[in-house]
Amino acid sequence: MSLADRNRVVILEDRVENIHGAEFPMGFDEKELPFNLASFKDSFDVKIVRVTPTDIEFDLIGVPTVAIEKVYMINNTGIVQDEVLAHRLGLIPINADPTAFQWKRPTDLPTDQNTVVFKLEIACSKNNEAADDEADPKKKYVNSAVYSRDLVWDPKGDQAERFADKPIKPIHDDILITKLRPGQSISCEMHCEKGVGKDHAKFSPVATASYRLLPEIQILEDITGDDAELFKSCFAPGVVEVVEEGGVRKAKVVNPRKDTVSREVLRHKEFEGKVRLTRVRDHFIFNVESTGIIAPEELVAQAIDVLVEKCDIVQNALANIGKNSEDDEE
Amino acid sequence: MQVDRLTNSGVLQHQRFQNGSEDDAAVLLGAGPCCRHFLRVKGLVKQHIDSFNYFIDVDLKKIVKANEVVTSDVDPSFYLKYTGIRVGMPERTDADAAKPCRLRDMTYAAPIAVDIEYTRGRSRVIRKGVVIGRMPIMLRSARCEKVILVQEQMSKNRIIIQVDNKGFMAANRKSKTYVVYKKGALYLKHNSISDDVPLVVAMRAMGMTADKEIAQLVAGNDPLFLDMLSPTLEEGSASKLFTQRAALDWIGSKTKVTRRPGMARRPGYEEALEVLANVVLAHVPCVYAVNNDNMTDDLDYLGNKRLELAGQLLSLLFEDLFKRFNYDLKLNVDKVLKKPNLAQAFDVYNQLMCHGDLITQGLTRAISTGNWSLKRFKMERAGVTHILSRLSYISALGMMTRISSQFEKTRKVSGPRALQPSQWGMLCPADTPEGELCGLVKNLALMTHITTDDEEEPIRRDAALMTGAELHTPGTHVVFLNALRFVRHGRIPAFVSIYIDDHRNTVNISADNGRICRPLIIVENGKSRVKDHHIQDLMAGKLEFDDFLRLGLVEYLDVNEENDCNIAIYEKDLKLYTTHCEIEPFTLLGAVAGLIPYPHHNQSPRNTYQSAMGKQAIGAIAYNQLNRIDTLLYLMVYPQQPMVKTKTIELINYDKLPAGQNGSVFVMSYSGYDIEDALVINKSSLDRGFGRCQVMRKYTAMVRKYANGTFDRVRYAHIDTDGMAPPGTRLETGPDVDGGNDINAGVGGATVEYRPTPATFKYPDHGYVDKVMITTSETDQTLIKFLLRQTRRPELGDKFSSRHGQKGVCGIIVQQEDMPFTDRGVFPDIIMNPHGFPSRMTVGKLMEFVASKAGAIKGELQYGTCFGGSKMEDMCRILMENGYSYTGKDYVTSGITGEPVGAYIFNGATYYQRLKHMVADKMHARARGPRAVLTRQPTEGRSRDGGLRLGEMEKDCLIGYGASMLLLERLMISSDVFEVHVCEKCGYIGYKGWCQVCRSSKTMTPIKIPYACKLLFQELQSMNILPRLVMEDI
Amino acid sequence: MDVDATPQEEPKNYIALLEVPEDKLEILPGASQDLTSATFCVKEEDHTLGNALRWAIMQNSQVDFCGYSIPHPSEAKMNVRIQTTDKTDAVQTMDKGIDDLKSVSQFIKARFQQRVAENNYARTN
Repeated sequence: MSLADRNRVVILEDRVENIHGAEFPMGFDEKELPFNLASFKDSFDVKIVRVTPTDIEFDLIGVPTVAIEKVYMINNTGIVQDEVLAHRLGLIPINADPTAFQWKRPTDLPTDQNTVVFKLEIACSKNNEAADDEADPKKKYVNSAVYSRDLVWDPKGDQAERFADKPIKPIHDDILITKLRPGQSISCEMHCEKGVGKDHAKFSPVATASYRLLPEIQILEDITGDDAELFKSCFAPGVVEVVEEGGVRKAKVVNPRKDTVSREVLRHKEFEGKVRLTRVRDHFIFNVESTGIIAPEELVAQAIDVLVEKCDIVQNALANIGKNSEDDEE
Repeated sequence: MQVDRLTNSGVLQHQRFQNGSEDDAAVLLGAGPCCRHFLRVKGLVKQHIDSFNYFIDVDLKKIVKANEVVTSDVDPSFYLKYTGIRVGMPERTDADAAKPCRLRDMTYAAPIAVDIEYTRGRSRVIRKGVVIGRMPIMLRSARCEKVILVQEQMSKNRIIIQVDNKGFMAANRKSKTYVVYKKGALYLKHNSISDDVPLVVAMRAMGMTADKEIAQLVAGNDPLFLDMLSPTLEEGSASKLFTQRAALDWIGSKTKVTRRPGMARRPGYEEALEVLANVVLAHVPCVYAVNNDNMTDDLDYLGNKRLELAGQLLSLLFEDLFKRFNYDLKLNVDKVLKKPNLAQAFDVYNQLMCHGDLITQGLTRAISTGNWSLKRFKMERAGVTHILSRLSYISALGMMTRISSQFEKTRKVSGPRALQPSQWGMLCPADTPEGELCGLVKNLALMTHITTDDEEEPIRRDAALMTGAELHTPGTHVVFLNALRFVRHGRIPAFVSIYIDDHRNTVNISADNGRICRPLIIVENGKSRVKDHHIQDLMAGKLEFDDFLRLGLVEYLDVNEENDCNIAIYEKDLKLYTTHCEIEPFTLLGAVAGLIPYPHHNQSPRNTYQSAMGKQAIGAIAYNQLNRIDTLLYLMVYPQQPMVKTKTIELINYDKLPAGQNGSVFVMSYSGYDIEDALVINKSSLDRGFGRCQVMRKYTAMVRKYANGTFDRVRYAHIDTDGMAPPGTRLETGPDVDGGNDINAGVGGATVEYRPTPATFKYPDHGYVDKVMITTSETDQTLIKFLLRQTRRPELGDKFSSRHGQKGVCGIIVQQEDMPFTDRGVFPDIIMNPHGFPSRMTVGKLMEFVASKAGAIKGELQYGTCFGGSKMEDMCRILMENGYSYTGKDYVTSGITGEPVGAYIFNGATYYQRLKHMVADKMHARARGPRAVLTRQPTEGRSRDGGLRLGEMEKDCLIGYGASMLLLERLMISSDVFEVHVCEKCGYIGYKGWCQVCRSSKTMTPIKIPYACKLLFQELQSMNILPRLVMEDI
Repeated sequence: MDVDATPQEEPKNYIALLEVPEDKLEILPGASQDLTSATFCVKEEDHTLGNALRWAIMQNSQVDFCGYSIPHPSEAKMNVRIQTTDKTDAVQTMDKGIDDLKSVSQFIKARFQQRVAENNYARTN
C-alpha cells in the first residue's frame, strides 16, 4: 500500500478494501507521528454545502427534544384505540425549545418548567350544507379527519409569556392523526416532556443523520470514443463528462462528489484496469435532516456538546476513582 | 407469431406482441381477466355454498320424496304424506342478520317447513307450511340473502371418500366385493354373502342364464379371456343352478340377514336380488383385472376420488333424522290409534308438532360436535366440522379450501401422501401440513370447482343399449369420441364429464357430485376460441364468465377428462392437436401458496412451510374485525400490502386485508445475536410502530337464573355504577381485585346470602377493556362479554417470518445509531443473517428483495406471481438507473465503528409477517405455587402457574451422573414430599405415631415419601392389595 | 496539550439521565498493581462514547493496547481495556484520552460554527 493510499477506502467489485483506519502511532509505519491536535487543527475544516430549514448537507447523539409523553384520555369513541392514538400523538414533532425545559424524572410532578400541555377536543358531525349525494367525507362531515393542527396548546404558569414570540405547536399542521365519523369524538390532554432518542425515537431531533465518504474516481488509462459515453452512463449524472480533447472524445471526472458508488463501471469488461474507485477516508460528507424542532446547524453543535458532556461525566467519575484509590492507599 | 393467434389471456399480452416486447410484467397486468372474473362469479368458497344450495333446493326434496309416506300398522286407512318441503329464511332478514347470532352465541338457522296431506278420521286434510325443525344456514348461501360468513362456530370441512372400487379386489365404500381367482375359476365374494359364489351363478342370478351370454358379456370375443373363463363356466354347470330363480334362491340362502327387528323376513331370492343389485353389480369390471395389470386402478388417482361437501354430509344427516322423525311419528301414531275409543278424530298434526325438536337438535348437535354418527348409513365419523379459524384472513380462507382425507394418518404408507400427477391444477402442490397429516390434508387450487349432482336422465337417454358383443368390439368408443365434441357447445350440463377408458374400452359419463374440475380455454385447430373481443367484452362487463361457458369458449374438465385432452400451458405452445389451454398457470397453486412471491424459484418445501406459516401471520382479519368479539383475536396496528404482490394476492384481496409489513432488510451478520435465524431489529423502527400488534381476548360472564328461584346478580360495586369495568379501564393482575374484576356475580335468593364470586382478571400482563356487551343468549340468560385489548410491540423472542418459509425470532433489538447505514442514510428495520440462504435455497426471497427495492425506488408495486412476475433484469436495471448497485448490494458503513463494512451488503425491502407466537404469551417461571389437590404435586402448565417438569430423559441424565441427592430433591422434596408414620412391626402406614392395626405407638417411624406414593398405597389397599413397608436400619 | 481557547459555554444538560450512577466508572478486578493495564467499566455508555474514546486513547504513543467492548447487550455497560508502557498508567491515559476527545470535539464545533456564521453556502427554503 502506498502512502497516498493510506487514507483511501478502495472500492472493488466484490468487496471494500482497506476499511480500517491505521492512523495510530506506529500503525502505518514507524514514521507515523502520534496524533497532534495542532496538526489536526490545521488540516481539519468544515465546508457547509447546503442548508434548508430542515436539511443540512454536512453522528448525532442524544440531543433532547420535547415530545408528547403522556396522554390522558378523557373520551375516545373513534375507531383508533387509545394506545394507538397515544402512540400516533407521541410521534408528532412539537416545536418547543428543549433547552427551555427541565428534565422530568418519573417521580417529579408536572410543572410549567418540565411539561407542556396540549389539549385535543374534537367531535365529528354531519355537514348540513353538504349536498345529499356528497361522497367525499371531508365535505360530507365536519372534522372527518383529525390533524396535528387540532392540538391546542394550553400554556401553564408563565409559559404564555416565556414563549410569546414562538408559541408552542406541532411543527407540521397537516399530520393526519385519525379519522372520525359523525357521533365520534375525542377528548384528551397531552403532556409533553423532554427526552432523548435513545429512550424513544419520538425524541430524536433528526429524521436522518448519516455520512458517507467522498468518492474518488481515478481514470488510470484514457477512455475514449463510445466507451467514454458508456463510462459516463455508469455514473450518476454530472459525475463524468465527455470532453473533446484534440478531436478525441474522452471521459473526464468532473464531480466525483455526486457519485453514488454504484460500482456499475466495474461490471464492464472494457474498463478493466482503466479505472480505480476509492473513497477518501478522512473526508466525511454528513447529511443531517432535522425534524424541524432544532435547526440543523444548531443540531450539529448540540450533538458535539453532548459528546463533550459525556466525556465530562466520565472524566469526573475517573477523577473520583483516582481520589478513592488514593484514599484507599492512605 | 401472428397477432391474431394470440388471443387468450388478455389484451395486454396482445399488445406485448404488437410492440414486440418480451415484457412479462405487462402480460401479468392484463392477464387473466378470465381468472378474475371466474373468481368474481365463483369465489373461493363457492363450492361449499353451491353444495349447500343444492342440498336445500334439490336434495332435501328428493329425501322427502323418497320417504314421503308414513302409515300406521294399526289403522290401515291412516296415512300421512309429505307433499313438499322448503327451508324458509332466517327469522331476521336484515343485512346483518348473522351478526347478532354470532355475538349472542346463537345458531343462525331457518325453519324447515313441509306440506302434508293426511287423513283425519275419514276426511283428508291438507296442511301447508308445517314447521318440523330448524336448519342451520350456511352464510352467503341462497337462503341467506345478505352476506356475512360461515356459520358462527362451524365450518363445513370436506371429507374425501375414496371410491377405491375396481382393484384386483374391488371395493366400494363400506362393503367390499371380491372376485377371487381360485383354482382357475372365478368366484364372487362379498361380506353380505357367507359363501364364495361361483361367478357363473352370480351371473345367472342376474338374469344371464346361457353360458354363451355370460361368456360374451364377461370376456367378449377375446380368446384369452374365454380360455380363462372356461373353468369358471365348468364350475357353473357343476353347480346345477341353471335358472335365474334357482341361482337367486341359492345366493339368498347364503345371504347374511341384517335386518332391523319388526320387519318381515323376505324370501331369499328377494334378498339376493337386493344384494346383487345394490352392492355387487357395481363391481363387475374387476374381472378384467385378473389378466391385465393395467386394469388395476390407482387408488391415489384423483379421478377415482370424490369429495364430499357440506351439502352431501348434511343431506345424509337430514335423511337419517327425517327417517327417525317419521319412525318416531309412526310409533306415536300407532300408540294413539291403538287406544280403543278416541274422543275426537285423531289429528296427526298435533303429534307432528310435539316432537319437533328432533331434527333441529340432531342437526345442531352434529354440526357443533362434528360427530356424524349415522347407523343407518353405517357412518361413524368424528371431526367432520371444525371451528373456523379466524386467526387471520388467510387462515380462514385456507380452512375453507381444505380437504381432509379419511385415510388413517398412523399408517406408514407413502402413496396417499404423495403428490399425484393428477392433482395438477386441482389441488395445491405446496399447501399441506408438515408432520403426520402431511399429504393427507390438501387444499384446492385457485380455480377448482367441485361438482354437485347433475340430472342423469337426459344423459341416460342418449346412452344406447348394447349387447356384450358390441361393447367389446374394439373401436366402439370411437363413436362416442365423436359425440364428445357436441358436449362442448353447452348441450349437456357444464359439469358432466365424458371420458374414455382405453383399458376397458368404455366410455364413462359422470354426472355425480364431488368430482373436482377446473375451467380451461377451448382450443380449436390450434387457435384459442377466446378471442380478443371476448376479453374486451369481459373487461367492459358485457360478458360474464358464465357467458364464456355458454358460448363454449371455456369449459370445465374433471380429472378423467383431462386425460383425453392435450392442454397447452401458454398460448404460444398451441399446436394443431392441442385441445385446451390453461387460463393462467399460476392458478395451479392455492390461495395460501399464492401469496409467495417468485415461488417457482424456491426450494419446494419452503413454499410448504410458508403455506403453514401464512396462516399464523398477524394482520387484518376482516372488515368487521373491530365489531367482532372472538375468544382470541390478533390484529396488526399498521398492516401493509406487500411491495411485491402476486396476481393471487389481488384475486383473494390479500392486499386489502394484509398480514405483514414491508421492512428494510439488510442481509449481514451483526452482533452474534442473529445465529440460528434470529433477527436483529431496529429499536427506532419499533418505536415508530413496526410490527406492533393488538391482542383481543374475550371474557364471558353469565348472569344466571336458577331453577330454585335463586339468581345471580351483578353487584353495584367499585368498578363502575353497573358493576362492570367500563371500556378503557386498565386491568392488571394481582391478588388485589381492585380494577381487576369485571363483574360481581353472586348466587342467592330470598333465603340465601349472596356469595360474592367476582370474575377476576387472571392474565399475567395488563390490558384495557375494549368493549362490554350485555345481551341475552338463546335461553334468555343474561350474557356479558368483555373484550380485553393489549397492544404489544415486538420484543426479544417474538417470531417473524418472511414469505419464504424463513422464520426467525427477534434475537436483539439495537439502537438505530448502532445500525449500519448506506450512503443515502438508509437504515435497516431488520438485519437477517446470510446463513439463512445457502441451505434453504430460497432464491425467491432474494428476488423479492431486489423487486421490492426496485419498486420502492420507482414508487410502484412489483409482481412476483408464480411462473411470471417482474423480471430480474428490469428490476436490476431500475436499481442501476437510480444509482444503486445492479447486484442489490450496497456500500455500507458500520454504525458501531464508523468504518466501512468490508463486504457489500445485500439489502432491500422485504415483506415480513409477525407470527402469533409471542414471548408474552409463553414466558413462564415458578418458584413456589399451586399444587394439584389429588397428588399434591405442582400443577402443570403455564395457565395454572405450573412447575417445570423434570422429565424422563432429564431423570435418566441425573441417574447416569449419579446425582442421587439432586434427584431426590427434584423428584420428591421440591415436589410432593409427605411425612408418613410407618409401623415397623406390621408395615402399615399409621397416623401421627399411632398404628391402628397394632394399636400401639411403640414401633412407629416417620419417613418421607412422595404423596403420590402414599396415594398409591392407599389405592392398592382399597383393592385389597396390601403393600407393607419394611423398615431397616442403615 | 493546549486547551482550546474557545470560551466554555454555559453547561447545558443534554443527558437524559439526571442521576449519574454513583459507580459510573469502575476499575474491574484484575488490573495490574501499577495500573499500567486496567479495564474500566463505564456504566450507561455505549459505542457512541466507546468507539470515539478508544480512538482517542490509541492516539497516545504510550498506549500499547486499547480496546472496548459491550459485554452484554442487556446491560448498559461498556468496558475499556487499556495497557500502557511503564511511563504512564491506564488512569492517566484514560484522562488524557478524554481530554483529547473533548478538545477535538470542541474544535470541530467551533470550526463548524465559524463556517455557519460565514454564511458561505447555499441556503434554500
